[in-house]
Amino acid sequence: MVDPLDITAGWLEEHLLIPALYQVGLMNWEDVSYGWALFAVYGAVQVVVTFAVCLPLERWRPVERWPDSGAVWVDVIYTVLSRVGILPLVTYVMFYRAQVFVTGWMADQGLVPPTLEGVFPFLLGQQVITFVLYAIILDCAEYWRHRLSHQFRWWWALHSLHHAQRQMTFWSDDRNHLLDDLISFVWFGFIALLIGVSPLQFPLLVLVLRFLESLSHANVRLSFGWLGDRLLISPRFHRAHHGIRAAGDRSCNYGAVLPWWDMLFGTADFARDYVQTGDPSGEEALATGTYWQQQMAGLRRFIRSFGRRTARQGM
Amino acid sequence: MRRLTILLFLSFMTLAGLTPAWAGGIAFIVNSGGASISVIDMGTLKEVRRIPALREPHHVALSPDGRSLLVGDTTGNQMMFLDPNTGEVQKRIPITDPYQLGFSPDGKYLTVNGLARNQVDIYDAATMKLIKRFPVVATPSHLAYSPDSSTVFVSLQDSNKLEAFDLRTMTEKWAMPVGKTPAGVLWLNGKVLVADMGTDYIAVVDPADGKVLEHVVTGKGAHQLFMSPDSKVLWVNNRVGGTTVTLDPTTLKVTRRYAIPGGPDDLDFAPNGKIWITRRWAEKVAVLDPATGSYDTIDVGRSPHGLFLNPRAPSPTVVSSR
Repeated sequence: MVDPLDITAGWLEEHLLIPALYQVGLMNWEDVSYGWALFAVYGAVQVVVTFAVCLPLERWRPVERWPDSGAVWVDVIYTVLSRVGILPLVTYVMFYRAQVFVTGWMADQGLVPPTLEGVFPFLLGQQVITFVLYAIILDCAEYWRHRLSHQFRWWWALHSLHHAQRQMTFWSDDRNHLLDDLISFVWFGFIALLIGVSPLQFPLLVLVLRFLESLSHANVRLSFGWLGDRLLISPRFHRAHHGIRAAGDRSCNYGAVLPWWDMLFGTADFARDYVQTGDPSGEEALATGTYWQQQMAGLRRFIRSFGRRTARQGM
Repeated sequence: MRRLTILLFLSFMTLAGLTPAWAGGIAFIVNSGGASISVIDMGTLKEVRRIPALREPHHVALSPDGRSLLVGDTTGNQMMFLDPNTGEVQKRIPITDPYQLGFSPDGKYLTVNGLARNQVDIYDAATMKLIKRFPVVATPSHLAYSPDSSTVFVSLQDSNKLEAFDLRTMTEKWAMPVGKTPAGVLWLNGKVLVADMGTDYIAVVDPADGKVLEHVVTGKGAHQLFMSPDSKVLWVNNRVGGTTVTLDPTTLKVTRRYAIPGGPDDLDFAPNGKIWITRRWAEKVAVLDPATGSYDTIDVGRSPHGLFLNPRAPSPTVVSSR
């Protein structure tokens, strides 16, 4: 059966992108534009599915109610930019180019570029199992990236933008400083190159994983139960990570999708209940500024972090 | 009762893996975005199974002895060798960025274009040893040989050039501008034809020096060219316009135009006169009846690109049940 999302991307490519590229004389971007169309369509569906599921949940059992939820709208911009707009294109182009050159160079040296399927040939053609294994490895890598971003002053200065939101909702997942996104990209890209992951092969499962990440930020009193919370990260578990008292290097629950790494490396905290979120140590602009005000405030904090060590409040 | 007996006999034959004499042939469709090769029963026009590739396969070439179908997996940096009669994977070997590939008419060389790595590799077809690597300015996409196998012509998609390489001396002969986004290449009657995806024409090029002699308008996004097995009809797929056109190979006049939406890319010729065309963005293959202009549609994987028809192969429907 043909995937309707693929057909939508194909329609976008055939009727909008290709005619536009042809008109402006950029047909050499044809293949890249199709990759972007796929990312954009799956990203748009991610946003719609997340909205359709999380919004009713947030209305049903909200942790907090705010008289003015204006700060949430900036997070909507982050989400659209991150999942549908320019970032997927940049990521796709950069990752694709990097992968081609690194693995091609290895093949030239007589080395076989590493892939999970190369180590375990029975995985070839078992796309779902292969993806689940890739997802587990990448989730572990994401745990360590995230945990380290809380340990280094300069990194926390960037990452604190993500934690500044006092009105945390399912839109807050993509609320990141651009430099923090860049580091994430390099980190993810390096690991993905090492194990040979190819995200375009598994768009539907990427969609599910991104949905779970968004759900974990939702403003909802939702736990998956004693066992469920230990299998998948719930809004309750991740909210503890965003708690005011947990900002910076005092945090817990760093995992993105699986809580296993927190349990394994001693950073899991299942006891904290539905805490208030935010980071009191940062500028107000980080919490309630416009998109660019937040980016600039994050950059200022990042630069200051290289100065003389002061109390975290003044960093 | 007799029908039941026949049915039981056929079921036994199928389970036993025996191939009936009325088998319909295999079509291999390379799903570049789905990392697989669809195996189609040419008799029933149904997809029977998918052969997994590693990452991103694009094009195919039949080995000179006809025993292997080579499929280049670009980001997988792998060449797959398939049995063209069954689709069984014979072997997979590491090859750098194999995008477009083709054997020379004399069977001596295999040229492999590394589109993403800007390189043209010439292999010894018998041993698969790399003989020569030509670095090029940008994205070598399609290729064609002179009939005497002395020269291979390669279009450089992200530049405006066609480049010629002398296979006797393993040196570059010339690189000349031929259009905005050069794509498909074909040798025809002592000239080289180059489809220009950035415009609506094919360029007729002098193989001696690369000079463009004339332009022939075929349709927006002229992409790939094919000569019919009887050498009487030239086929051109126009990617942007969503059309496939036929030309008289002598006069280069367009004789007929077919609407094939969904980004027509490669095509191949079936013995019954039907034309199989991959439609990149529709995830389908069109099986066109040139007489009527109507076509059947087969669902395949994401971004179907290269294809190969083997009408003499046994029915894959029976083979796959083994």
